[in-house]
Amino acid sequence: MSNAAHKLTSRVLIRVAVQGVNPGRRQALSKMLVDAGYLVSEAADAADVVLVDGDCPPTEHKPTVVLGAGDRDAMGLLPANADASQIDAALRAVAAGLIVRSPVACEAGFSQLRESDAQSLLTQRELEVLSVLIEGLTNKAIARRLNISLHTVKFHIESVFRKLGVRTRAEAVAKALDLRHLETIKL
Amino acid sequence: MSEQADILTQLSTALTRRVASANSRIVTIRLSADRHLTGMLWQPEIVVTSEQSISRGDEFEVITAGGTTTTAKIIGRDPATNIAALRFVQPASPAKPVASATQAGALVLAVGANALGYATARLGIVNAVEPEWYSSHGGRIDQRIVLDIDLARNEEGGPVFDAAGGLLGMSTFGPRRQVLVIPTATIERVVPSLLKDGRIARGWLGVALRPVAVPDALGDMAGQPSGLMVMSLSDGGPAASAGIFAGDILLSVDGASTRRMRNLTARLGADSIGRKVDLRFIRSGEVMSRLATITERPTS
Repeated sequence: MSNAAHKLTSRVLIRVAVQGVNPGRRQALSKMLVDAGYLVSEAADAADVVLVDGDCPPTEHKPTVVLGAGDRDAMGLLPANADASQIDAALRAVAAGLIVRSPVACEAGFSQLRESDAQSLLTQRELEVLSVLIEGLTNKAIARRLNISLHTVKFHIESVFRKLGVRTRAEAVAKALDLRHLETIKL
Repeated sequence: MSEQADILTQLSTALTRRVASANSRIVTIRLSADRHLTGMLWQPEIVVTSEQSISRGDEFEVITAGGTTTTAKIIGRDPATNIAALRFVQPASPAKPVASATQAGALVLAVGANALGYATARLGIVNAVEPEWYSSHGGRIDQRIVLDIDLARNEEGGPVFDAAGGLLGMSTFGPRRQVLVIPTATIERVVPSLLKDGRIARGWLGVALRPVAVPDALGDMAGQPSGLMVMSLSDGGPAASAGIFAGDILLSVDGASTRRMRNLTARLGADSIGRKVDLRFIRSGEVMSRLATITERPTS
């Protein structure tokens, strides 16, 4: 009988050690993990998985998920702005012995200046709608927030979906976060 | 039959000789207890490597073939061309590298360093050669050379040779672990400035920008279908001092349209520092302009 035939037990408790230079972010991450049902431990050697926020010297030879840093040897690599569900999925995957990479992490490397295709660029208004959509608001709430009609919101969202080549809100959010990272340039 | 076997033996012998002689061209740069990077000996006492992969820090342990360990100091880094230069006291100096031109299909040998300072080898062909290009950090790279070689992380930064033993440049990782070459010409251009100033001076406006479509209603007035929206400004930076706000859509800098990024980065070379430039932008439905004085990009 293959291992896969074993029954999945309900969610296994995972012990996580949170490391990072910024105490505020470290605290916020710890709280998020406790709320999500993880055991947060102080010391890395007692943990199943280490969650490292930003550039931080590696301590233990433990499965590690890194947020927004250059340690490309870590088992889990997520962008700094990864959301709670992505961090949750990555911790569980890495604890189960898998390697996790976000699309942005795969794009890392010495890269060419992006020349954007004008056809697929969003307008300022569409970016506004998208940034509210990322917060998880409904169309109605978006209309109220931006002080525009429901009809206009639907119109903008349709246009955003078309330009990004996506079909669902979740896809649009994921794509938008990647683009925000990839397209922002500093001059 | 036996003659064909001879050709292979000849090839193999030639390759092992090349790799053995490359031992004097490479060093192991230790990043941590169990991680290292390859460095290429560029000129007496100077090693170059891949800037994106060398950790922060001023001093690194380097190991040369034979196991001699010394300390190397960072002299300069240029993220825009992905070149970092280190200096160390070196007993023997290698001959000056001979630059070489290449084309798609040419055989190449990429050499890395193992943990003990000895050469490791990868053989492949040049996958593509394209003209000069600009990196996402705004650096000009003399040629785009893509290899069909698979490289280990710790082999990055080593020399890439052609069949005649000429140096194409330094290996580095592009997106999705594609292996690129930073051409010898680019290293020749950048290293002297790194040795002199520790950096490559570049012009700076102090803005984070993102491409956006210009709304149809403003298309005629703007004269272009897209621009760069100001996402954030550095306090006291040239753009902030000129009265640019977050949300403004930049249309041109010094007459160069923001539609083409490379035109823009080409305007922000070292010679642009101190120059007054006209910034044309859209704010609340109108096209406006302001004068900004370009300053030198601060080291991050």
